[in-house]
Amino acid sequence: MQQPVACDKSRAIPSPCPLEANLTDVSFHTRRCITEDPSWSLVTVPHLTELCLQHIAHNFQKNPILNCLLPEDQKKVVNMLSTSLPLTVTANIVSHEDYWKRCCKERWQVCDVSNYGDSWKRMFFERHLENILKFFIPNTTDPKQVLELIPLCKGYVRKLEIDQFLPPLRVDQKEESNDLSDTEDDSELGEIYMHHYNLKDLIPALPHLEELHLTYGVKSCGMNFEWSLFNFTDLDCSNLAAAVKMCRNLKVFKLTRSKVDDDKIKLLARNLQYHPCLLELDLSHNLIGDHGAQSLGKLISHSRLEALNLCNNQICHLGAQALAQGLAESSTLTSLNLRLNFMEDKGGEAIGCALLTNTSLKSLHLGSNNLSEPTAAVFSQVLAQNTTLRSINFSCNHLGLDGGKKLLEGLANNKTLTELDLRYAEVEQETCFLIHDIVWTNRELVRQGSLHHPNSEYL
Amino acid sequence: MRPSAEMILPPRVAWQGGGMGKIAAHARRGPGDAAPPTRCLATGDAPRARACAVTRAHLSSGVAMEPPQEGAAAASRSELAEPEPKLDPESHREPDPGADDGPGSELDPGADAGPGAEPGSNRERQQRIAARRSRVDVRRREAVGEEVEKEEEKEEEEEERKSLKVIEETGKVLAKLLFHGTQLLTNVQVEADLRESRRREKEGEEKRRRMKKLEMEAKHSMEKLAEINSKWALAGDLKIPQELWELLQQQQDQCEQLLAEKNQMIRELQQELEAKDSQYEQALKEQADEIRVLLERMEEQTRNMLRTHRHHIRQIEKTFEEERQEMLENNRKRWNEAIQAHNEQELQFLREQMDKALEFEKQLNELQDESVENYDSMKFQLEQDVQYLEKKLRQMKGLYHLNQVKLEYNLDVLRQLDVENSTLRSLQKRKINRFRTSLSLLRTKMANQEKKFQEEKQSLDSELERIMGKFQETQSRMRDLARSSAEKFRQVWIVNEEEAKALIREALDADRIIHVQQLGMPWEEPHFWFMDNVGPLGGRREKRDAMQVATALLEGIQSGKREQGGRRSKKKGSGSGEGRKENQERAEERDTSRPEVSRETLRNILELLSEEAEFLVENKLLRPLREVVGPRNSVRQLRAILETLRIEDEDELRKLLEFFLYYGYQEVTDSQDTAGENSMGTAQERGNGRSQFQRDEFQSPESSIPTRSIIKDDVLKILKEFLRDFAKLRDEGTPREIQEVRDNSKDGEYWEALTRIIPERTLKLWDALGAALLEYHKVLTRRSELFSEAITLQQQNSELGILLEEYLGSENGR
Repeated sequence: MQQPVACDKSRAIPSPCPLEANLTDVSFHTRRCITEDPSWSLVTVPHLTELCLQHIAHNFQKNPILNCLLPEDQKKVVNMLSTSLPLTVTANIVSHEDYWKRCCKERWQVCDVSNYGDSWKRMFFERHLENILKFFIPNTTDPKQVLELIPLCKGYVRKLEIDQFLPPLRVDQKEESNDLSDTEDDSELGEIYMHHYNLKDLIPALPHLEELHLTYGVKSCGMNFEWSLFNFTDLDCSNLAAAVKMCRNLKVFKLTRSKVDDDKIKLLARNLQYHPCLLELDLSHNLIGDHGAQSLGKLISHSRLEALNLCNNQICHLGAQALAQGLAESSTLTSLNLRLNFMEDKGGEAIGCALLTNTSLKSLHLGSNNLSEPTAAVFSQVLAQNTTLRSINFSCNHLGLDGGKKLLEGLANNKTLTELDLRYAEVEQETCFLIHDIVWTNRELVRQGSLHHPNSEYL
Repeated sequence: MRPSAEMILPPRVAWQGGGMGKIAAHARRGPGDAAPPTRCLATGDAPRARACAVTRAHLSSGVAMEPPQEGAAAASRSELAEPEPKLDPESHREPDPGADDGPGSELDPGADAGPGAEPGSNRERQQRIAARRSRVDVRRREAVGEEVEKEEEKEEEEEERKSLKVIEETGKVLAKLLFHGTQLLTNVQVEADLRESRRREKEGEEKRRRMKKLEMEAKHSMEKLAEINSKWALAGDLKIPQELWELLQQQQDQCEQLLAEKNQMIRELQQELEAKDSQYEQALKEQADEIRVLLERMEEQTRNMLRTHRHHIRQIEKTFEEERQEMLENNRKRWNEAIQAHNEQELQFLREQMDKALEFEKQLNELQDESVENYDSMKFQLEQDVQYLEKKLRQMKGLYHLNQVKLEYNLDVLRQLDVENSTLRSLQKRKINRFRTSLSLLRTKMANQEKKFQEEKQSLDSELERIMGKFQETQSRMRDLARSSAEKFRQVWIVNEEEAKALIREALDADRIIHVQQLGMPWEEPHFWFMDNVGPLGGRREKRDAMQVATALLEGIQSGKREQGGRRSKKKGSGSGEGRKENQERAEERDTSRPEVSRETLRNILELLSEEAEFLVENKLLRPLREVVGPRNSVRQLRAILETLRIEDEDELRKLLEFFLYYGYQEVTDSQDTAGENSMGTAQERGNGRSQFQRDEFQSPESSIPTRSIIKDDVLKILKEFLRDFAKLRDEGTPREIQEVRDNSKDGEYWEALTRIIPERTLKLWDALGAALLEYHKVLTRRSELFSEAITLQQQNSELGILLEEYLGSENGR
């Protein structure tokens, strides 16, 4: 208790003026004896240590002393610190959650700390960095703004969720010119000026980055809508691919609603091959076609991916066959989402055949893929053989009455499937009901198993 | 949720504003180009926006469901915390109040949290309940060990089963409810998907139709344009302005027609575009509606879930409450019974105790009386004892005093003794010291002695060695002496023998002369065995030098060709005299007389040996050998080889040769053997054969050995084998020389026999003859005397005659 105080004193001596003034002020008031006031007492005189702590808190920006204090004093000082202190001072010194909680609450209204691993500091830095990147305008914003932040936040950022990338500002002339010329310029000059912020500098500098959600687009542009705002250029793609390749700890990578086409996905897939950690890849709402799907099929068999989301793309039967091949070779993928594609029966059959040998996939979404009876026939075989599949979604397809019956046949001896979605699949209601019965009993079994298991363990 | 719904559709907002104009611009570009952008807009963007909306809503529903889960978790945490303090058996019987409080406390936060719970939380809760129950069971079992309570436990378990059933049922119901709710929610998404997929199909068809139409139109217009263009060519031919004007008019009309068609097309497309725009707006509205529906349904479901959860919780609570009541009643009943029994028992105990107290009092009184009497008598006796003991004490004191005096005296004596002892001890110590010094002296002496003895021993050792050396020397000298004495002996013998034989010959000559000349009888020379003997007796012929044999062998065969060499060898080998020569001849005879082995083979073997074992010849010897390259080369070489092999004797050489022969024989038999015989067997046989060979060395192998069969390569092997055995043989053979003491029993006989070369009869004859001859000699001497007398008389006579005459003559002359 005494040591830090002594130290504080010695530090306080060079600038004692405000302290002394304060003291005399206080003494002047407290020395008076007010007999009528029963609440008066000497206890109100603050301790010297507290005064010192106050001083430290006031001069924290110039002389940050925190780590040599006792834990209780540290708490006090941190409580006194203002949230407007520059990050260069606080980032690596203050690790108290309370302080960062105050910072977050002051800055944002909605703060759900559970999304950030219950760490306010992480939340603050992640959102701070996201904010800066969201409003980063290439060629106008100073890139130092980001680069200076890197040493401060690199120890805390684990997830980046950036849902907008602003394009560079245009020359004023163009905005004034009429629509006709504008569209023409878009096609001619747009490519040159439309590159977004280059993540290559930032991402490799964040050693703990595990999740990366990106959307190359502009939010709430209102009446200023232009197609060019939503342009994921080739250079952007190559920069991003290089950055992601460098990021060795990345586990979840989401690139959605960004007009990713075949060439770009090929580049990305090539760079993601043999990535040591990547587990989840979300490419929903893009323009991936058959060629892109082929490269993804290769990626499946050459990486440790566990979840792949290709919802709302343009994959036809060739792409589906490539994916099926990848699925047959790989043994890590557990979830595959192919909703809203153009697979049709050829693709569906290919995937079904792959599932005859695959033993890892647990959940499969084939909704709205124009599938019909042949696919159902293959899948009835799959249901009879496969024991790892937990959930299949066939909604919005044309399976037909016979297809439903075949599925029912296949499901007769299956004990593992707990979800089979057949809504709007043109299946007879009776079969639908029977299938539902089977699936429901399976689910009950699973539920009881999970209920009894911990019980038996406990006993 | 609201903000997310807002965020969903940035393009939509944009669409409404700037999008329209831009599409119009696209459309204005041309009929060919107009279609793709619209398509892109209609197909690409709108569905995506819609899908986004749906997914967002879907996601947000998930987000919205999280808080209640947390609430439930918190509640269950409090629930977990509460049953902890129930440790005393009283509260064991009522595990329900905890459960009662749990749901109760769960209710409020659940209500605060708002929307209903997840199935996960429900399941968790059930699990936790089950876990807590089992924990309570365990604790109860630990605390209570009585059988009565076990029965009650069974009852309790039954009761609990009831509640368990209720909980399971509610679990099922809630799961079903949740499933249906999610189904209801996802229905919206699925419907949107369906609509989207249908729209896509329709769009595809329309697109195809539109493309066809556009192509048709383009073709048509191209044809028309070609027509118009062809007419321009005609215009050049026309000379009349009116006609030209007409033509121009016509062309203009046609162009206008073409343009009108194009415009019509553009208008149609624009109309379609507008229709699409309106469709898009409609779709947006629909989506907004759907989102609203989604939100409503979500809220509905959360409310529904909450309600059912609350309902079920209440039900469960109620069942627990009932159970608790029942249990309470049961327990109270049991408690009362137990208390009553306890009271009765206590009363009984009290009564028994009273009885016992009375009894004990009576006994106490009796005992007191008895003890008083005992006490009096004891007191009297003890007093008597005290008096007696005092008397004794006084006596003892006297004795003690006496003893003390005695002991003091003894002490003085002992002290004196001690003093003496100490003086004695010092004396002894001094003595010990003296002895020690003497001991050390003796030790040094002993060490000196030992050293001396050691030296002596060493000198003796060296002397022993020297003597041993000397002994060996003397031994060797003795051997040499023995050999030389034997030689000398032999020489003396031979000289004597020769003398004797000369004498015998003389005698025999005399005999012959006597017989022939004196007796006039025919004489034939008698034949005796000893006449043939040369050298000392004993049947042992002298061993020749191995080398001599070898040279003999070599030479013997060469002698046929080269007389000179043979002669020289003979000269050399039997340089000493004739006897040696004879001996050698005989030895050669013996060699050759060995019936089977031809000399040829032996010679071959020796040559082989000299060729193959050339390395055995020392270098020192090799040089002179090279210098004297000649026919004798092989002989010298052989000698050197034999020296190195240490073969000195004839016997040894013979052994070597026989070994070779034997080996050769073996080889032959081996080669002659058919495959039927085992090689092992032959090896064994060979071993046997060798031992046999050692046993009867002089049984030579068969004669039919082809000499060539001894292959050059085998020579070394054979030599090795031989040397192995040979060393043994020599070891056995060494003491032979010393052992052999000459047997001189027959010497006397021999010499005796030599003396008796003239038989008795002849001697007698000779005696008689001698006597007769003496007689004869006598007669003859008489006669010769007489003769000489006669002669002298005659002479005297003649002289007398002469004297007479002279006398006469002198008488006469006077």
